[in-house]
Amino acid sequence: MISNDTALMAHLLRRAGFGASRDELEGYIAMGYKGAVDALLNPTDPGNMPDDLIRRYHVEQSELRDLPGSAAYWMYRMISTACPMEEKIALFWHGLFATGYTKLNQARTQLNQVDMFRRSGLGSFEDLLLELSRDPAMIIWLDNNENHGDSINENYGRELLELFSMGIGNYSEDDIKECARAFTGWTLGNAEYMAIRAAKDSIWPYGRIAWHFDYREDDHDDGEKTFLGETGNFNGEDIIAIIVKQESTARFLATRLFQFFAADEVSKAGENAVEAMVATYFSSGYKISDMLQTLFLSDYFKSEEARFARVKGPVEMVVGAIRMAGNYQNPSLGIEKVSDNMFFMGQGLLRPPTVEGWHEGVEWIDSGALVERVNFVAKVLSDVKSPGVRSIIDWLEAGADDGVLNPSDLADGCLDLLGPIQVSDETRSVLVDYAARLGDLDLNGHQPGDQAEQRVGNMLRLVAATREYQLA
Amino acid sequence: MSTQIKSPGIVVDYVKTIGIVNNGFNGRGFANPYDIIVHNDSRIFILNRCDPARASAIRVGICTLDEEYLGEFGKGFGTGDGQFVWAVAMALDSQDRIFITDEHSNRVTIYNTDGEYISNWGNSGSGDGELNGPAGIAVDSSGNVFVVDQHNARVQKFTAEGQFIANWGSFGNGEGQFNLPWGAAMDSDDNIYIADWRNDRIQKFTNDGKFLAAFGSTGYGDGQFQRPTGVAVDPEGFIYVADWGNERVQILSADGSFQLILRGEATISKWASEYLASNLEEKAERDISNLIPELPAHLNTPYHISSQTEPYFWGPVSVSLDREGRLYVTETNRHRFQVYQKR
Amino acid sequence: MTTTKREKSLIVIQLSGGNDYLNTVVPYSDGKYYDSRPVVNISQDKVIPINDQLGFNPSMGPIKSLWDEGKVAVINGIGYQNPNRSHFRSMDIWHTAEPDAIGKEGWLGRAVRDLDPLGENVLTAVNFGRGLPRALGCPGVSVASVGDLETYGLFPDVQDEELRMFTLEAFSRMYGGAAGRDPVMQMLGQTGQDALQGADILRTAPVMYSSSVEYGPDTLAQNVKSISQVFHANIGAKVLYTQHGPFDTHSGELPTHAKLWNEVAGSVGCLMDDLKEHGTEDDATILIFSEFGRRIKDNASGSDHGSAGVAFLIGGAVNGGLYGEYPSLTEAEQIEGDLRSNNDFRSAYTNVLEDWLGLDAAPIVNGQFEKFDIFHS
Repeated sequence: MISNDTALMAHLLRRAGFGASRDELEGYIAMGYKGAVDALLNPTDPGNMPDDLIRRYHVEQSELRDLPGSAAYWMYRMISTACPMEEKIALFWHGLFATGYTKLNQARTQLNQVDMFRRSGLGSFEDLLLELSRDPAMIIWLDNNENHGDSINENYGRELLELFSMGIGNYSEDDIKECARAFTGWTLGNAEYMAIRAAKDSIWPYGRIAWHFDYREDDHDDGEKTFLGETGNFNGEDIIAIIVKQESTARFLATRLFQFFAADEVSKAGENAVEAMVATYFSSGYKISDMLQTLFLSDYFKSEEARFARVKGPVEMVVGAIRMAGNYQNPSLGIEKVSDNMFFMGQGLLRPPTVEGWHEGVEWIDSGALVERVNFVAKVLSDVKSPGVRSIIDWLEAGADDGVLNPSDLADGCLDLLGPIQVSDETRSVLVDYAARLGDLDLNGHQPGDQAEQRVGNMLRLVAATREYQLA
Repeated sequence: MSTQIKSPGIVVDYVKTIGIVNNGFNGRGFANPYDIIVHNDSRIFILNRCDPARASAIRVGICTLDEEYLGEFGKGFGTGDGQFVWAVAMALDSQDRIFITDEHSNRVTIYNTDGEYISNWGNSGSGDGELNGPAGIAVDSSGNVFVVDQHNARVQKFTAEGQFIANWGSFGNGEGQFNLPWGAAMDSDDNIYIADWRNDRIQKFTNDGKFLAAFGSTGYGDGQFQRPTGVAVDPEGFIYVADWGNERVQILSADGSFQLILRGEATISKWASEYLASNLEEKAERDISNLIPELPAHLNTPYHISSQTEPYFWGPVSVSLDREGRLYVTETNRHRFQVYQKR
Repeated sequence: MTTTKREKSLIVIQLSGGNDYLNTVVPYSDGKYYDSRPVVNISQDKVIPINDQLGFNPSMGPIKSLWDEGKVAVINGIGYQNPNRSHFRSMDIWHTAEPDAIGKEGWLGRAVRDLDPLGENVLTAVNFGRGLPRALGCPGVSVASVGDLETYGLFPDVQDEELRMFTLEAFSRMYGGAAGRDPVMQMLGQTGQDALQGADILRTAPVMYSSSVEYGPDTLAQNVKSISQVFHANIGAKVLYTQHGPFDTHSGELPTHAKLWNEVAGSVGCLMDDLKEHGTEDDATILIFSEFGRRIKDNASGSDHGSAGVAFLIGGAVNGGLYGEYPSLTEAEQIEGDLRSNNDFRSAYTNVLEDWLGLDAAPIVNGQFEKFDIFHS
């Protein structure tokens, strides 16, 4: 039942998306692997839940003043988009260029940043760094509004080099100062008023006022600067042009992209893929989508070693399960309680704990988080009323001999349709025993919510609870 | 920007702004207001839809034009008597009864103007008299209650006690058809106007549902709308439209010709100035700020512009009129309303 | 009930949103208070005096009773330098004991790591309410977040008892798999087993508990009752955490603040009665804190974010009394219109960590801070 084409495509969709239902998978398989990679990396119309509907019913998502509604707004986009790679790359940059609500108290401004990641996140890294430096959320987050020509504040200059590009050891303290000097004057409109409102979490009198970039020429230090060995009257864009030329930048970017899209750890075989991505970085003119194409088409990525080599982050757990179940496709009362689950699992959208973002990989897992993770996906995927689960039941029936599934078929069928998910022999035998408790399953003439359908739901619940399901 | 034709038949002057955001559970201020009705005794009733975190505070607030907060009423979030889930609009009848629609619970709840719960009616469904997403509501001079039944794409007429009288409409964009309609208003001839939200137009019908006219098309130009949510008609027949998606209010003459656009020009309300008086350092920065800044090219939709330009309308969900020629524009995202006076 | 020596536990009630200090411990004899708070004040005839200058909010009856028994330490003017008036940021500061940089580990998470360095008891800290507070976050430290104690665990939505049992059995088999797998799968297996075991143990707590105390119906009271159940189950839970709110009373403050304190005082009163009944009054200490106090001047309906606040330590082992100084309301002493703090919150933390939990405080709170004399020796 599990062809390698299907398994490979499912693997791609877990990385470049949030997984895929069997129907979605078939659509991508029809494009061929390279065709699917290209389609994913060149998103067109996301066709997501329209804003007018969202804002009509969810006042808090019309205003986007507070966190819960704002996280739910992004979640709606992630669960209804036809271009999952757009959301995955936005999530990647959101974790890397981590900017947190805790200091900004401005969810809209963060969502504007996320939108910038969608627009520019697959393009040239140079353009992206430029947009980032002009992003008002980033400016307040790293205090660049306090970076003045006559008294510099190094925070953004430092993190730009340390956390957002080259990494420690590839520049000097002097380079940090010169970098900071170059970004003086890069601030936001009404900066002082906006900063005091952010500091006090002020929503008075009439709600929040969103932010926009403003360049204060008279606050800019336009003197001569020497940065990474080059000299000139550099402004911010000149610094960025020098940063992106560096090998260390290429390596940093390739490694981080690899860890998010390929595997938590870079193995020996993975290093080859990273090297290839570094080469593509330069040959393509710093283009992220080209680097990802190199990665997705690499032998490493297509090999067994790369399968299930990542621990799913909470956002992937929640969004993946909801997309599979196909619910919440229309504005739904209580949606923010659903998106809260990502926070309970340790990854609150728009509130990365520090500028370093989240610690991913195995650090997502502890016993408290595991309970949240398992409970959520088990509940969502066992609901036989939801369209995606009903679709799984239809697929099972279609693939069954005369509509009857023996315990192995039921277990294998569910593993296949939720993935395909590869599990150990021990896990599989537990699933089969669980199914065998009630013998063969006859799906003929099944009615919505009846015992037969519930048995499928119960099996899906158990599959979702496996260790292997925790992995992408 | 507020604009108008060369010689409009109507002039309105900005009067004041009333409101302040209230993110708690009681006291002066509003929480995502969705509708306003003005009593003949000039008390102003404001329906607070409330965000989920404060849903237990769903209530109707009462204030005066002098910005005195008189009180509030409601029984919070839920499906019990007097409670609301997604409250949308209000209408007042001649017996001091306020009819409030709930588009999630599919019913109409009645309170009196003293804030006492009276009753509710409405059942979910698509049969005659059943409701699916009741939104706008209006009362005619005989006390009949018209409910905009959004998901059933129709308008239904009831007695005040909820007995079904008639209905009309179906889904579509032809005459007498609707697409997720929202607000409703009567004129002095007991004709009814419906904000046909996703068809980006206003439709006018007789009291019995006979189609009379449709105004507007999709767009940002004069006389065009983007998702109009509310409508009001004054005794002279001028039509006021809450052009929600364009973050503005448009006024048309009785035959539907465009007269003028209002963009909003909010100033500091009394409650706002009380807040600023106790937070002087914030006030100091505000006083030297430009609240109508020039924005970068990519923030060029009315929604984004309004989110950054505090005086402009943002989320103008409904327009209401009083007996003295005043227009009240309810702004859900700014927790206030702006008052204009017709000359 | 066992007779083994009880270990000491810390119970934390976080007041989220910025509790109004001035209306909690009221300077009712200071005219400047009434001048600054023309609307949002507690009148002299309503306050519950604890001495000639200060009194409790009228909703704090049960706390006053405990005060009279000498079990309430009031830490006045608590805060930190360069006060931050943003909820998230200030609460992070209290949670990570790091006012000057963005801290990465919670102070109680670190405490748990020191209490149980080998991670042998995943129930060393239990949080009541969904969403782990950063105070308890620390790499390698597992904390259960319990929404409903009686149904806590895996697959709570499965109504059918038998089905749930079979599902849990299957889970246990799947996570109990053989050794020799890859490290991630091993770690998952161990974690899953810990989770199962922890949940099983937690669910016995309400079953084993018996008490004549009747807790209120509100969420805080129910969480505090769960805390009592878990505490008395003697399963090694040394840090028990919960939150209440919202104390962010920018408008309509008086009725909201009164209701909230009614609930806090009621819950604390019940809990102390419960401890008394079980003879465990000396084995638990309650810490009540908030991320900041509120402004001196009111805004005619409520009060806005301020700076210095008040914290409480309550328990049989506490030397009741006033600690720190009540901040002055004179303009010269204010900090940007707010009360100026006179003791760093990390002092109170140091007291709790060293004198109560028996840990070395300095590495946890990132420095040495002078202690008060809060606990009986």
